[in-house]
Amino acid sequence: MGLAKYVARRLIYMIPLILGISLVSFLVMYSAGDPITIATMGNPMITETEKQFLRHYYGLDLPIPVQYFRWLTNFLTGNFGNSIYGNKPVNQLIASLSWETVKLQLVSIIISFLIAIPAGIYAAVKQRSATDYTVSSISIMGISLPVFFTAVVFILVFSYDLGWFPSAGAHGAPTLWPVFGIRNPILDEIAHLVLPALVLTLASVAYNVRLLRAGMLEVLRQDYIMAAKASGIQERTILYKYALKNAITPLLTLLGLSIGGAIGGAPMTETVFSWPGLGYQFVLAAGRLDFPVVMGITMLITIFILLANLITDLAYAWVDPRVTIE
Amino acid sequence: MSSSSKNDVSKRRGAGQWAVAWRRFKKHKSGLFGLGMIIVLLFVAAFHNYIAPYPAGSLAPLYQGDAGQPPSLKYLFGTSVGGSDVYSEVLHGAIYTVYVAFSGTIITMVICIAVGIVAGYMGKYIDEVLMRITEIFLVFPSLMLILVFARIFQLRNSNPYWNLLGIQIPIGLTMVILIVSVFAWSPYARVIRGEVLRLKEAEFIQASKGIGANSRWIMIRHILPNVLPQIVVLATLTMAGIVLTEAGVSFLGFGDPNTITWGRLMEESFPFMSTAWWAEVFPGLAVFLTILAFNLLGDGLSDALNPRLRE
Repeated sequence: MGLAKYVARRLIYMIPLILGISLVSFLVMYSAGDPITIATMGNPMITETEKQFLRHYYGLDLPIPVQYFRWLTNFLTGNFGNSIYGNKPVNQLIASLSWETVKLQLVSIIISFLIAIPAGIYAAVKQRSATDYTVSSISIMGISLPVFFTAVVFILVFSYDLGWFPSAGAHGAPTLWPVFGIRNPILDEIAHLVLPALVLTLASVAYNVRLLRAGMLEVLRQDYIMAAKASGIQERTILYKYALKNAITPLLTLLGLSIGGAIGGAPMTETVFSWPGLGYQFVLAAGRLDFPVVMGITMLITIFILLANLITDLAYAWVDPRVTIE
Repeated sequence: MSSSSKNDVSKRRGAGQWAVAWRRFKKHKSGLFGLGMIIVLLFVAAFHNYIAPYPAGSLAPLYQGDAGQPPSLKYLFGTSVGGSDVYSEVLHGAIYTVYVAFSGTIITMVICIAVGIVAGYMGKYIDEVLMRITEIFLVFPSLMLILVFARIFQLRNSNPYWNLLGIQIPIGLTMVILIVSVFAWSPYARVIRGEVLRLKEAEFIQASKGIGANSRWIMIRHILPNVLPQIVVLATLTMAGIVLTEAGVSFLGFGDPNTITWGRLMEESFPFMSTAWWAEVFPGLAVFLTILAFNLLGDGLSDALNPRLRE
């Protein structure tokens, strides 16, 4: 089967999945709570008539199936509706926040893989050695560390105590953060990036190391490696030429998952650092039951994950000739 | 495990399977350490009212003028800015963590075992339908629905407790557990299905079919006991995962307002972190150690029970 045909089929297959997810999230949200009541809770002066007006304005007084079809037709034309808080178009809101999230995620994914690949391979090759035990025990501690706890500790140590990095936000304007006494917009941006990126990296690196180590062990156990060893081929050659190629599939899965999940941001990390990205916005919107924003971000994440999965599958077929796309 | 058909057919995995596993597990130091930590957690959860110096939610330190005190012999973990003893609050929180870990895991496991075994064994369109549903749950950005759900229940919650046979069960927390579990089962269902697919072709299953056993009997009496080792490992990992998610949901401010879980302690102390770090760090440390304990136990169990990795 041709590649184009395969991709087309996969894309068509995504449609019911996306529709299903949108329908479920929509029904759950809109049938469960009333955002207007929550939005106006802090305002004792508001009257019931005004609340009714607001419900009418946002179309919340229509039957739910009608609301869904209105939402869906708008969504298909790229209109995600307006946020209940601040009445801003959701797609503009998402566009303005995406960059900060992508920046943060990109940096942490790159660092995480740069650390995880050598560590995972080394631990697998030297299985049951002291290094392996060290790497394995550090990584099991790493996967057990709740990301919000690491974030809190880092803020306490590196920001409050040592004062090296800022504890919140992505930019220090109007007062830039001094790096070695120099106030410069770029250095300021980097200084703000360090702690959240480090926290995110720590959260993923341990996980990646464990999976890579397991994948590599699986490969090293196979007969062809034994055969290569028996024929007297150098350890190095076996490792980098024969083993690594086959351990690349778990690596691809990981990369696909990380990139797919990246656009959703890391709600916890972004919230602790008040990072002006999608994840933080998403938590804020969920707290206010700002449904148009929550729906918009959810659909964006869903589509992104599905596309990343598709690309991962294509990459599989590309690196591994045994995998055929059908 | 006294299923007789297993003794007849599969010699290696005889009646002593769990004894063999335990012998292997005993050599796994970190696994034992994890188990030890969990026993401590269970002990604290059971006897928190006797161990803790102050009752839950007590503001006694505040009345003694000791709000926001750093850790000392009098207040082991210090006192919060609001004037409660952090050590006592952490001990009282243990019971909720245990409740979250076990009830959440039971719900998750029931769903994933049912889906995994039925899909794997029945095959055909049943498998197709169940796997499509699983896929939706896998792709679903679950945190968002969990948060929205939790928030709605937070606002609707009028009666904070259920009285079940004299035990007060917090409704809000139960709702959070339910929501988290409903989104936790999908990857495990896939693992179990894969395992069932492998087992399905085994001779003892074929033999059982041959003598006329029906599907339900085979699934419950033959398949289930044979995937149990995997289930035990998955269950431990689920406990770690669910404790983490619940703590995160509470930390973000979406938890049950009527129960003081570790996540909620962290949420409450977060704004005062610069003046009273101890009120933030000790509950966080408790969450970390609990998750670590379950992960260590899971690692040990997986080494002890996973026959594919045996040498």
